[in-house]
Order: sequence, then C-alpha cells, then structure tokens
Amino acid sequence: MNKEFLKALLKRIISSLITLFLLISFLFVLIRLSPGDPTHKFLSAKFSPELKIKVTADFKLDQPIYEQYINFVANIFKGDLGISYNYRMPVLSVVWQFLSFTLLFASISFVIQIIISFYLSIKSIRKKGNTFDKVVSKLSLIVYATPAFVLGVFLIYLFSVQLNLFPSSGSKSLDFDSFSIAGKIGDYFWHLTLPIITLSSAGIAIFYKYLRDNLEETYQQPFILNLRASGYDEKVILIKHVLPNAIRPLISVAGIELGILLGGALITEIIFGLPGMGRLMMSSIFERDYPLVIGCALTAGLIIIISNFIADLLKMKLDKRMIKGLMN
Amino acid sequence: MIRKSLFLLPILLIIFLSSCGTKTEHPNRVVIGIPADVNTFNPLFAFSVDEGQVTELLYLSLADFRWNENLGELEAHPMLANSWEWAEDSSSITFYLRDDVMWSDSIPLTTEDVVFSLDVYSDPVVNSRLYGFFEDFYTDEENHIDVKKSFLVKSDYELQINFKPGATPKLIDVVHPVIPKHIFDKYDRKDIETAEANFNPVTNGPFVLKKWDRNQTITLGINENSFLYNPENINELIFKIIPDYKSRLTQLTKGEIDLMELISTEDIEELKNLDKVTLRTIEGREYDYVAWNNIDPNVYKDGGGITPNKLFGKKEVRIALTHAINRKEILEEYLYNYGELAATPISPIFKTYINSDIEQYNYDPEKAREILTKEGWRDTNNNGVIDKNGVEFEFTLNIPGGSPLRTYASAIIKNNLKAVGININVETLEMGSLMDKLYSKSMDAWMAAWYIPIPIELKAFWYSDLQTSPVNFVSYQNKKADKIMDELTKNSTIDKKKKLYFEFQEIIHEDEPMTFMYWTSNIVGINESLRNTGIGPLGAITHCWEWSVKN
Repeated sequence: MNKEFLKALLKRIISSLITLFLLISFLFVLIRLSPGDPTHKFLSAKFSPELKIKVTADFKLDQPIYEQYINFVANIFKGDLGISYNYRMPVLSVVWQFLSFTLLFASISFVIQIIISFYLSIKSIRKKGNTFDKVVSKLSLIVYATPAFVLGVFLIYLFSVQLNLFPSSGSKSLDFDSFSIAGKIGDYFWHLTLPIITLSSAGIAIFYKYLRDNLEETYQQPFILNLRASGYDEKVILIKHVLPNAIRPLISVAGIELGILLGGALITEIIFGLPGMGRLMMSSIFERDYPLVIGCALTAGLIIIISNFIADLLKMKLDKRMIKGLMN
Repeated sequence: MIRKSLFLLPILLIIFLSSCGTKTEHPNRVVIGIPADVNTFNPLFAFSVDEGQVTELLYLSLADFRWNENLGELEAHPMLANSWEWAEDSSSITFYLRDDVMWSDSIPLTTEDVVFSLDVYSDPVVNSRLYGFFEDFYTDEENHIDVKKSFLVKSDYELQINFKPGATPKLIDVVHPVIPKHIFDKYDRKDIETAEANFNPVTNGPFVLKKWDRNQTITLGINENSFLYNPENINELIFKIIPDYKSRLTQLTKGEIDLMELISTEDIEELKNLDKVTLRTIEGREYDYVAWNNIDPNVYKDGGGITPNKLFGKKEVRIALTHAINRKEILEEYLYNYGELAATPISPIFKTYINSDIEQYNYDPEKAREILTKEGWRDTNNNGVIDKNGVEFEFTLNIPGGSPLRTYASAIIKNNLKAVGININVETLEMGSLMDKLYSKSMDAWMAAWYIPIPIELKAFWYSDLQTSPVNFVSYQNKKADKIMDELTKNSTIDKKKKLYFEFQEIIHEDEPMTFMYWTSNIVGINESLRNTGIGPLGAITHCWEWSVKN
C-alpha cells in the first residue's frame, strides 16, 4: 500500500510539474506573440528615442523568441524567474508580497464558504420541502447569479455609504500601526468583512447546491433505509453514513474553488482596493510585464495543482479504493 | 436560541475588535486617492506622471518651476540653489547652493551630489528616464556626460556647468532632482535600477517616506529639517491607492480622502451639492483628437515608403472632415463644457504664445460636402458613399477600450460623417494593441488624446523626420514647420519665440494634420478645508508642502 502510494504520488508530482512547465511555456510564447510591447512606455515626447532601444536590448527583447525561450528555461531551472520590468524587483519577491494577502483572504473566505454551506444544506435537507429549504434554495440561485461587482457595489452602497458601518476599501486603516494587537486584528476583519461576503457568496451557493443534492441522493440509497430499519439514530446516520458519502463529489469542487480563490479574486480586489494576486496579474498583463505574467501564472497554476492534490488526498482518505484512479 | 447567538458572535467580535483600534485625530493630514501605485521613489526611473509627482516631493532640484498664470509660462525660482548666473555667451552656468540642506540621514547636500546625479542620469547603463537628453553637455559617443569637461566644482556649494560650443542650453534642461551620492555610489551603476535604496529612499525634499504598503498606501511625513518646513502647514500626506473610480468617489464624498483627480462630468452635479467638497479644474493639459494618417499605411509597412494616404493625404479633405464633425455637441452634451474646442496643439494656457487669430473650423456639413465635391469625392454609384477613382470613402476608426468619452464621440462622428457620404466602422482596441498599431503607423484613423508637456514640445510630435519624432503618429511632414521647430530649440527672445509659435500654429491650422477636438479639463475634487492649494497646469499636488488645513 505504502509503496503503491509513493509510486502513485511521484507519478502525480511529475505529471503536475510537466503540466506546469507546459503552461508557462505556452504562456511565454503566447504573450510575446500577442500585441503590445513592454518598452512602449519608454517612447514618449518626454523621453529620448534611444532609451527605448537601450531598454529593449536590456530586457533582451531584441533577441529571437526561441533564444529568449532558451534563456528563460535555463533560468527557470536555476529558480530565477527574472526581474519584473515595472517593479524592478525579482519576480518571486513581488509575487510573495501579494500572495501573502491572498493566502489569508482566500483561506478565510474558503472556510466561511464551507461552514455556512454545510450548515445551510444540512438544515435544508433535515427540513426538506419546508419554507426554510425553499427560501434558501431560491436564494442560493439568486446569489449565484449575482455578479461579484454588483454585489460588491451594493454592499458598499448599503453598509459603507448609507449605514457607515464598514469601510469601502483597503485592507487596514491609515492608523493601523498605532493600534493594539486586538485592534489590529479587529481592524483587519472590519475591513475584510464586505470583501469576504462578496467573495464568498457565490461559493456558498455552489457548495450549498452540491451538498444539498448529494445529501438528498444519499438519503435515498437503500442502505440508509436499512440503517433506519435497524434503529440507528438519525444523527449517527447523518454523520457516519450520509455525510462521508455526500461530501466526496464536493471535495473536487472545493479543490478547484480553493485554487481559484488563491489564484486571486480580481473583481473583489479591484472594487475594494485590496492588494491581492488578481490585481497583480491583471496589471502585469496590461503593462506587458512578461516575467511577472509568467510568475503570476506559475504561482496560480501551482496553487491550483496543490489544492486539487489536497482534495484528492482527502477523497482518498474517505475511500481508499480511489488511490489508483486519483493518482493516475 | 444559543445557536442563533453563536451566529451573531463573529459580527459582535468584529465590532468589538474594530473598536479596539482607537481613532486618532490628524488635523494636518491630507489623504489623496490615486488609481495605481508607484513602482519607484527614485527620480531616475519616475516614468509615470504619478511617480514624477511623488518623487518631486522627496527629491528637490536646484531650481523650482512655478506657473505664471498671467504670462502662461514657467518661472524659475531658487530651490536647492540660492541663485545662479549664466555666462554672457550661455557657454556655462554657475549655481550657488544653499548650505543648509541635509539629506534625511543628516549628511549635508553638496555640489558633489549634483555632479553625481547628472552623471548618473546620463549614464547609458542606468536606463534613466532622462537618458539621451544631455546634448548640450560635453558627452561621449554614448551620450554620457563627460564629467571632467562639463563640471567645475568650485566648492561644496558652488558649481559651474560648462556646455559644449554651439549649445543652446535652457535652465529646465539642466536642473533635475538631485540624488544622494553617498547612497548610490555604493552600487554598481547597472544595479541602481533594482537597488534597495529606491524603495527606502534617503531624500532631501520637504517630505520623507514614512511607510509604503504596496498597492495600499504611501505615507509621506513632513521633513522638519527641511528649509521648506512650516509647522502651520500639513504634516502628513498619504496617497491611498484605490483602483476603482466609483470607490474613490465614494471615499471623497464620505471624507475618507481629501482629493481626487479626473472626476467624470456625470458626477459633478452630485459633488456640487456637497458642502465639504469643492471642485477645481486643471485646464489645457490634454486634448482629444481624431487622427487621419497623412501617409499610406500599406506602402509604409512595405519598406518605410512615404506616399499620401488615399483618403486623408490632402489637407483639403482633412479640413472637410473637421467641418463635418460636430465637436461642440460632444463638448456640450458629454463634457458639459468642461473644456474648450481645440484648433492647434498649442494649449490656451500658454497665453503668450497662443495665436488667437486662428479661427476654428466650425461644424458645417454643407461646407464639408462642398470641399469634398471640389476634391472629386462624389457618390457616382448612388450607394450613399462618396467615391473617387473607384475608391469608396470608407475606413475604420479605431478607439481605445475603456473610454466612455471616446465611445460616445465615435458614435457622433460616425453619424456626422455618414451625413456627408462617408462610411466608417468603429473598432475598439485594447490599449496595447492600439499602441502597437500607432508605432507601426498601420491605422488609417483613430481617436486618442495627448497629454502635453510643459514647456511646449513640438519636435517629438510634428517633425518630418519620423525617426526623430517618435510620436508623430500621423506622419505629418512640412519643411516650413520643421524650420520653425529647429529655430524654437535655440535660445531667443520672447518676441521672436512668439512670432515662431504664431507661425507654427498658422501652418498647422492650414494643414490640419488631424482634427483637434477639444481640450479636456481635469476636474479635481478637493476637501474644502484645504487651503493654499495652488492647483494649476503643473498638477494637483505640486508644492503641496505649502498646503494648510482650516481647523
């Protein structure tokens, strides 16, 4: 079992690395072939025309694409993703500055999505067909169909402009440094309340829908009837038999959702002015900061692969028959 | 009941914890909302307007330039230099520096720093924004200043700068923000671009960098050791990065920020009703235009050949197009008259040099039709589109994405041109794609804007040699205009310059290389309690160490 597991694990890691390498190679070529030039900003009425020529040479953009690619691959193996054209810092340092916020923000949102969707779906299924179930089901559809920018703007209008309860942007107050530790934590959460609601709502609706349907399906299985006939307590049936079966498909969705969240929540970050990976990636694309685009894509790709891998491990933990299938 | 209370717990906790952060009063703090963060605090690499504005608060120059509203010109005042003296033949200038200027690490600023700064600005390995702009100095073949020939350090506070024979130096080309030699001398020149000192700067200005939270805030504190320090004025300036326009506007109305620029005309009425916000305008720095490629893009693409554009090659046609477009309607309906019609690229803010005898090409579709007919453009095949020698007058007008003004204007232009028998297809391009097409000169027509430099710069935009005029996107060529632009690079009297600028405007107006649409105003919303804010053509925050807050 252990040997088989390790072999499968190794296989999975290698295939993930190949996928990542292909992803960034594809992106490397694609972004260079797409319109736009990172040195355009060095050509202006205020700058000398020679500056653009010099910068192009310094960025090595005057070399053929295949030569640029060979250098890029050689540097990747040295762990060097290059220097960001705009930030004038190593790409990994820039990414880390933004990733740390995203890790915190996305993790909080993810945990909230899981807790609330679990609570709602279990309550719905236990009171199946009653008003609560009907209202939550309908509401989840509405929330899912509401774009983040609409919800975000609405929340700002209501809670920030009209009621003045929460700040409309930023992740901390201007006087953050002068606060006590409790004050700092509170200030952080105070600022992140509206963004987290915006980011989490659609996820809660998706998880709720999945889990509620899976619970319903599992309850209809003959073995549940058998358990009930044997006199098992409803709570035991739910926790020990229904939930493990019902959450398996959800774990795959959760893995993808976590990866997407950690890759950056662009719209929420822009509306609320948060310093996350989504904004970083978008600005690097607009400014044609090639090394940074690759760095962001690599990070997002890596996160998605890791979160999917974690999801698979969890599924495996629940059902050991899945080892082969999942690892392949 | 207990379960319900548990759900309320996080909310109560947030409210409790947030109240632990005691709100401190900062009567002399000013918060400015900006859409994007800066990437550097080093003036060598301050390529964007925002970076320029922030770095100028941290690093001073030998002279300070202020806008003279009456003359419509820049005026030089002492700054790091108490005074300066030109040689009679302009072959050199001597600066007498203040002896009370200290870097923020308490090291005195001397002439050595000035020499080092100019040396680094011109060094080809550094890639500074001013590289290639020191042609009046003694330089080597790579345009790097020859320090020995160009500078004569007479003392720690007296410096003579020598210019090469025949040079026509101007003060504005000589004075640039001074950087600390004792900091940057430690770095290999090619590493200055990525140096840690760019992010934790040692500065000489009225402000020091207190804190930088990437993509969140830039906090500048007043430098109490600066000779510009006045305890009555503001003592903290925070740039709050808020990418979303509506969020910036919300924070301005709530008083969370004290100033924001580029307010959309549709929001003006709402802001006018607020007591705590006043509106100011920065006029004449930006004009919109519809560009008509003067040359044939296909011929140019095939080897750089210059032949007149089939549609827009003749100035009479371009004038007819301007007559056909109702610019006034856009100005009134969309911009609510926050701006004025443009006739040439010389802004009305340059009061001494603006030729007020130039008359606008008014909206006159009849006249447009008449000119086009005279030029041989008639609808010979009765398809509603005028044609000439088998060529139909139809083309694509490219506009940049994300610009509601240009989307609105293009709809008006499309209808206006249709009325004179011209068929256009409006295509929106992403900015990167548009830039590519601009530099390759591969478009027939497009709509964009120019943010004009101060003082007036013409050669980069209008010179016939397309290699030395990198942003002459319409490929305008006129030998007479070239001669005037060459003359204007030399030092001359105001009267002579005035004559040359007047003449240039007449030529441009006669050639109408593009349709100059309108000068748009930068509408600035500002907290009414701020005093002494000299908002003008040089920007909204220039000289902001002189601002004070009415308490």
